Amino acid sequence: MHFTAHLWLPFHDFVFMRRALLGGLVLACSTAPLGVFLILRRMSLIGDAVAHGILPGAALGFWFAGLSLPALTIGGLGAGLSMAGLAAWITRRTGLKEDASLAAIYPISLASGVLILGIAGKRLDLLHLLFGSALAVDGPTLTGMLWVSGFSLIAMVLIYKPLLLDTLDPLFLQTVSRLGPLAHGVFLTLVVLNLVIGFQAIGALMVVGLMMLPAIASRFWSRRLPVLIAVSAVLGCLSVWLGLLLSFYYSLPSGPAIVLVAGGLYLLSVVFGPVHGLLRRPPLLTSQ
Amino acid sequence: MITCKALRWGAPGQPLTPAVDFELAQGSLTGVIGANGSGKSSLLKVIAGLQKPLAGKVILGVPRRGSLSFLPQQQHLDRQFPISLQELVAAGFWGSKQTPQQRSQRLQAVLEDWCLSGLEHRPLMALSGGELQRALLARMSLAEAPVLLLDEPHAALDEQGQILLWKHIHAWHAEGRTLVVVCHDLAAVRQHIPQALLIKSSGCTLAPSKDLILQQPQTQVA
Repeated sequence: MHFTAHLWLPFHDFVFMRRALLGGLVLACSTAPLGVFLILRRMSLIGDAVAHGILPGAALGFWFAGLSLPALTIGGLGAGLSMAGLAAWITRRTGLKEDASLAAIYPISLASGVLILGIAGKRLDLLHLLFGSALAVDGPTLTGMLWVSGFSLIAMVLIYKPLLLDTLDPLFLQTVSRLGPLAHGVFLTLVVLNLVIGFQAIGALMVVGLMMLPAIASRFWSRRLPVLIAVSAVLGCLSVWLGLLLSFYYSLPSGPAIVLVAGGLYLLSVVFGPVHGLLRRPPLLTSQ
Repeated sequence: MITCKALRWGAPGQPLTPAVDFELAQGSLTGVIGANGSGKSSLLKVIAGLQKPLAGKVILGVPRRGSLSFLPQQQHLDRQFPISLQELVAAGFWGSKQTPQQRSQRLQAVLEDWCLSGLEHRPLMALSGGELQRALLARMSLAEAPVLLLDEPHAALDEQGQILLWKHIHAWHAEGRTLVVVCHDLAAVRQHIPQALLIKSSGCTLAPSKDLILQQPQTQVA
């Protein structure tokens, strides 16, 4: 058999692989602009806080309703939002540094998630929740992923301009429009939605990797925002595709395989990227 | 145009001045002067509606949104932000009803006005401080707001840039816009700006700038 056939045969032969691939690809496309904007807004750690927060919520959902998509999603959504919100609230009320406040949330979420799963019995595999399983993408999950991705792409197109200005120059936007806070709110909701819908396929802790790694890597390829988002989507799709193949041929959990491919692409970008990559050395702040 | 009534501003619990009243007429050009930390920049933010006053109020003769343009000090911009000079300047079109063709012509004209032609596609990180400042001023030109608030507009500008700046400020003034300019350069205020608002911890004085800045322009205002 020709080598290239290995690159698509698993998806041809197995429905679950096709579902995982399709779900992963649309997720990579919809998380690309989110990741890029998270970095520009200096909020890269928020994704982690939400993802950790999803765990106890999903565990509670499982405890009360069993392995049902709506229960896991609603639990994850509520807990993810409230954990990120709690961190932001503590920062605002007490002046605790934002990274410290977020770092306090991670272990609390992770530990309580694991404890709740312990109490609920071992029927839900902890590894699946943390690191995902391609097998978990059944019909309803895939439908959910398609809806969320489509919805977030449309919403991002709608809020692109105010979000861009709110990120670059919030004072300016405030003087011309009241859309800034709205754009920020919609944006955060999209981040949580994507993380929640992605955690079943890729794992709660791994889906953040799919969101952030391609976005950070894209910084080494362009200085233009639309190009950054496109590069980030392409790198994300590549990671999903190669990662799923790795996971198929070597029986690895799908989440870590995908994220490690994304990590490899990130390291390649750091070395070879034309914009301040290690092998390029125009000084950082002078003209091209 | 800009009426401040019993206004106090500053950090919560620490008003910078006693309650002050003053009125800046429509079409006036006012320089705001005072020592570091006297509250010049925050007064501008209070007028712009970006910061809440501690007490009293600011009444604007026009709706705030859309008719007020604010030039902040530039250090709050992320210089690594992945957009070009042209995209930054074109944000000034927000809410404008011009056709794409009109916009492109207007944009070219404004870039030329501020000596930015040829830099359209430069990323922000490749701009000098003066170029970035002129880009922010060009964005302000596009917005065509009747009220303009400028915080240290001459910062980072070289001599040519300052000449350009004062030329535009006079042109805006001649068009009947209301301008408030925070400026450290007392000589420039005395030379270019008819009236000045001096902020001191004991209160504010609004007077012709030639009266407020009496002696050698270089000396500090007491």
